[in-house]
Amino acid sequence: MKKFLILIFTVTVGLNLLSYSLLERESGNFIENNDARSSAMGGAAVSGGNRLFDAFINPANLGMMKKGFGYQFSLGVMKNDDNRSLPMYNFFDGYIDDATYASNVNYFSEYSLGIHYKYSFEKFGLSAAAFYRPLVDFNSYYKEEVRNDEGSDYNQYPQIIAQNYIEGDGTINSMGFVSSFNYKDLLSIGFEFSKLDGDTKLSKRVDWSDYAEETVAGDLPDTSVVVKRDFDDFGLKIGGNIKISPRFSLGFSYSPKVEFDVETGGFVNGAKIDTLLYQYIYDENDVVIDSLMYSDYFAQKYGEYKIPSRFRIGFSFQPRNIMRTFFNCDVELVNWSAVNTLFDDEFNYYVGVEHKLSYNLPLRIGFRYNTDYHLIEDSEMVMAEKISMPTFTAGTGFSFLKNFRFDISAEYSHRKYETLDLFMDGFYNYAELWNSITPENRGWENPDEVSESFIKVVSSVSFKW
Amino acid sequence: MKKIFFLIFLGVFIGLFAELIDLNKASLDELKKLPITEQQAKDIYDFRYYQQYFTSFYDLRKIPSIDQKTLLKLKPLVMVSHYIEQDKAAQRREQIYYLIERLGSNEGFQEGVSDVWENYLMTPRDINKLTFSEVLNMPNVSPIDAAAILKRQAKGDTIANYRDLRKTPGLSHYGATNLKNYIYYSESEQKSDKLFIDYQLKYNDNVYEEEAEEMYKESMVSAMDGSNSISPRQKNQSFWGYFQMDKYSPAISNKFRIRLGNKWQAGILYNSRKGEPNIFQQNLKNIFSKFLPFSSNDLTDEISIDNKMFAGYHNKNIKVILGNYRATFGEGLVMENTDFYSSRKTGFGFSKRITGIIGDLSRTQEYALRGSAIEWNSPHLNAAFFYSNDKKDAVVFDSNNNGIIDEEDNLFSYITATRRFTDEEIENAEQFFNNYSWTDDTGVSHTNEFAINIAPRSDAFQEEIRGGHLEISPIIGTHFGFTGYEAVYDRYFQVYSPDSLKYLLIRTNDDADKKYKIMDSEIAALYSTKTENYERNYRRVIGFDWRTVLNNTSVQGEYAELSVDGSEFKLGDDPKAMIISAYTQFSDLYLLSLYRDYDLDFDNPYARGFSEHEKFDDTVFDKYAYTLNNPLLADLYINSAQAQAERGVYFETRYRMNRYLTLSRAYLDLWERKADARKSLRFQGEMDFRPIYQLSLRLKYKHQINRYDDDADKGVSKTDETTARIIAYLSNYDKISLEYRYNKVWFPPYPYLSNDAEAHTPDSNENDTIAEGTSLIHGDYINVDYVHNFNKNLKVAGSFIFWDGHGISHWDWEDMEIDFMGEKGMKFWFSIHDRISNNLYLTLKYKIKHYRTKEEEWRAWWNEPSEDVGENYFARVERKEHSIRLQLDWKF
Repeated sequence: MKKFLILIFTVTVGLNLLSYSLLERESGNFIENNDARSSAMGGAAVSGGNRLFDAFINPANLGMMKKGFGYQFSLGVMKNDDNRSLPMYNFFDGYIDDATYASNVNYFSEYSLGIHYKYSFEKFGLSAAAFYRPLVDFNSYYKEEVRNDEGSDYNQYPQIIAQNYIEGDGTINSMGFVSSFNYKDLLSIGFEFSKLDGDTKLSKRVDWSDYAEETVAGDLPDTSVVVKRDFDDFGLKIGGNIKISPRFSLGFSYSPKVEFDVETGGFVNGAKIDTLLYQYIYDENDVVIDSLMYSDYFAQKYGEYKIPSRFRIGFSFQPRNIMRTFFNCDVELVNWSAVNTLFDDEFNYYVGVEHKLSYNLPLRIGFRYNTDYHLIEDSEMVMAEKISMPTFTAGTGFSFLKNFRFDISAEYSHRKYETLDLFMDGFYNYAELWNSITPENRGWENPDEVSESFIKVVSSVSFKW
Repeated sequence: MKKIFFLIFLGVFIGLFAELIDLNKASLDELKKLPITEQQAKDIYDFRYYQQYFTSFYDLRKIPSIDQKTLLKLKPLVMVSHYIEQDKAAQRREQIYYLIERLGSNEGFQEGVSDVWENYLMTPRDINKLTFSEVLNMPNVSPIDAAAILKRQAKGDTIANYRDLRKTPGLSHYGATNLKNYIYYSESEQKSDKLFIDYQLKYNDNVYEEEAEEMYKESMVSAMDGSNSISPRQKNQSFWGYFQMDKYSPAISNKFRIRLGNKWQAGILYNSRKGEPNIFQQNLKNIFSKFLPFSSNDLTDEISIDNKMFAGYHNKNIKVILGNYRATFGEGLVMENTDFYSSRKTGFGFSKRITGIIGDLSRTQEYALRGSAIEWNSPHLNAAFFYSNDKKDAVVFDSNNNGIIDEEDNLFSYITATRRFTDEEIENAEQFFNNYSWTDDTGVSHTNEFAINIAPRSDAFQEEIRGGHLEISPIIGTHFGFTGYEAVYDRYFQVYSPDSLKYLLIRTNDDADKKYKIMDSEIAALYSTKTENYERNYRRVIGFDWRTVLNNTSVQGEYAELSVDGSEFKLGDDPKAMIISAYTQFSDLYLLSLYRDYDLDFDNPYARGFSEHEKFDDTVFDKYAYTLNNPLLADLYINSAQAQAERGVYFETRYRMNRYLTLSRAYLDLWERKADARKSLRFQGEMDFRPIYQLSLRLKYKHQINRYDDDADKGVSKTDETTARIIAYLSNYDKISLEYRYNKVWFPPYPYLSNDAEAHTPDSNENDTIAEGTSLIHGDYINVDYVHNFNKNLKVAGSFIFWDGHGISHWDWEDMEIDFMGEKGMKFWFSIHDRISNNLYLTLKYKIKHYRTKEEEWRAWWNEPSEDVGENYFARVERKEHSIRLQLDWKF
């Protein structure tokens, strides 16, 4: 009964809260760590991962677990702080700093769960696990105001012209099973097979204010676009672990590229459409007029969505240390070049250490360095944008009720990047709305600078019979 | 009954003589034979294998599964033998890990030197066989200490141990303490000549230094326009925007060293500065490609990162190095090749030089020597010869006035760039700026009136250096040395006269005089190989150095000359530099007096002598980067490593009055800057009062006056700084400290800052109306530091600082690096030092820094001033910086 209550409790907690970066609103955020222990160790767990969810990094980790039944549940909460700014210049015409014009703080959440069983016979073991977890997260939220240039005399703010929104929703989830075969605790091989599917919705709209509607003669254009996408495919991952010595083990994992079948549809200004193409609109000089509009509607599938193949190797080292110590280190090569010819293959790095300060009190610290790619459309040119981000991690955990283990981790990262204005200023160019300025679009010669910070807390509860 | 007696006797007999199980040696199977569960036996085995050897039986209680009952049960059955680490290197590392950690964090001019000291720590040398210069090259050892030891050697006396070493007449307590970890006393203690392998990874994403960032962000449009009629509103009008330098890019260095004892050594360093491609992005892909399950499309990318390597052999007398090496002789006036400047580098204490030749795996790039070097070392004769042939970066200008900067043009100066661009990258950027056109508000279009005609170029010229050093030591502690080198170039260095020079450097047609200051005579004094008088392809520098130790005083100095247009063999008719110093040592006191005098035109790029300021300080490269034809020239000052031309006298002392009271390093410097004859004074002193050992109360006072000889001069400025610090030393080497600093700076009047902003608007004809005297500004600084040791393997240090500088800059020693802080702000950092195993060290550091930019830059003087006070300014905007640093050291 008590165990049942705890299960209920953890599931209830799990239904809470992860939000992600606006930058990845179309490409999605690849979720790195579902387990709090490996998350606290910088995500390094291709070898030396000893929780069920470490099988997501390397399926062979499952074979290194103890025999019997167990389950794990984890939940992650992400706080995303997004500040968009424009450059300001001093009286010597030199750039000084950036002035933030839109600041958004959002929270998002996600959860994973899985059960596993390991059967041992003589020196061999066979493990199997079933799981559910989010793989790519498309959640995002953005709001900004457009005010006119009346100034702030008489202690009043300038009139609001419009409020702009971007809202992203949905995930690609992975549901499947992992199986592993091991010989003693020396060698293990495993694979993961999963069904990947998800629905996502991305909407972008401009809400004109009453002031704008009343001031401008004639109707202001409707500006609401909703894009829906359905993803469907299968995923595969294989991995291996080998213990070279009681102190040192090696591991690897490989997941091939996934090319999803994508069904698209949506609404443009309220009118339902089956399929659509997302693109910028250009003026006669091939300058982007607006990044908001989705114009050409083709009666065919829109685009494709690919997750690049990943090859990861790593080691785990257990030295003699007055605190029981685990040191994990992974290097992952992501084959971005197979996703798009503009991308280069990139390395991700993961380093983490766990010390047992006392028997039941681990202290974990880690560092992760990831690189992602995005496509940027500018006029008729498409450019590849590479974004690298370091992450600092820490965490701890404790045991309770004999067979339960609670782990918690915090990941912190911060990044800056440049991007085009999300809502181009030329869109609001109605003379009646402005006193002296004539809004124009800003291109890549004067982009926004975005400063983003991420704090992600992952907690997981695991139970071992 | 007899039978029972016999059984009891047998039991006692067996009990007495049965072999006890040794917890430090027993196998898992043997442990399983004890009356405990299998899991308990495994826990005991794992504790020993993964945590520590047992030092006493009661260590068993550290194992959670062993309770008191089990402990009592095991007591008569087990024993604990004394464990001694068999691996000598591991044993040694365990003894001196804290020193290795300290050396590993050394950066700047000391970073290559630390490798040498670390080698000596691991494989100490026989104190009874070292020469004078070898003893002197140890950290913090003075010439008097070295002479004291050598005198004992000369008497045929053998130093038997540390206690014996302490008894050496004339050897200071401080010298002996510093020496003890680097030496052994008899053959039996000699560490084996085993193979050592060290790997170090440093990852650091610190932002560009403020000066460098401002340089890159300088608008190329306004600089070219020569007027303030347009305001750049586009980032790509600067190098910063053009090269997208705000993209995330860490600096990464990888160092790999291998050595066999102290004899054979080799190493390689790959270093990429911020913004430059790194080895992980390139080389690893090539390695991975062999094992990849898929093909990679960019394996052919070229690497443009710096790499350094060397291989060396060193036996008792001779040292041979191939590859990159450091050469340092005398007081550094002729040759000391490092990219890093250090002010007040006396050569004593913490600013010690290692003289002679050593392999170089430091981040020095521009002044790296690459070739071969050989050094002979004996008690009476030291000789070194070195040869280097390497490409160097330089500032190149359009000397033939054909509108392009190319290989036909002459060189202006060596340059150490904050970020090295390839020639193709920088030429494309220059072309972009040169062809820039814009339309102003009135619809009139403008084009660039001036083209960039002076710019840095990578690997711009070939430098071939031949040099040597000869040193004769007739008696212990006394030597006479000669150093000289000749650098042969494949291009000319040419520097115009001041009148022409200012129009080359400053982008204007008519007001160059306003920005070109008298100080800039220092720039005009740069060395030319092509002048009206001569044309040559070399630079020659020669010098003499000497030292003599008389009782407890050491007198040393160096005289150097750069051959310009004087006679080759006559001294005194060419630009020259001289240092002479005297160092007197008592048991609790030392006194250092130093005099230096460098001619303005003594332009030796390899000179690193004592000075208060680096070359180009206060010149147009420092103060007026925005007026430069090419702002990138500011790097000449930002990364300057040469000493500025100064003449002055410097006194330094430290006096430990008693166990409670110490006058920590105190100094007074009085000097004159050669370029403009400005006279300055700087004093600093610190008293340390330790009423009890655990508590240190420190009071520091600093005072500096520039142009103290002429109060009426506009350039006069005075600084007073008082610092109070309380340090509490807690148990387990934990430490907490609180510091408060108060500054006062009197600076010359700048009426445009305190007058009505309206007077400065471009269309206004009004003048300033408020008269002003010398201004006084105040600054504060509060710092709390804490160090906590969880145990000997895990340490966390952190610091919180708030400062309000107002143009006063503060600096903070942040665990592994120095941070400079201007204006107002706060920062927090913490670092985790983790000794993962005996030979693996991890350091992680995170810093958050918020600060505000220079106050006077914020006046928006083109705005119509409001009637309300304070609205002539933009609100200040804070900068937020986040940085992560990671260092991984693996020593095998």
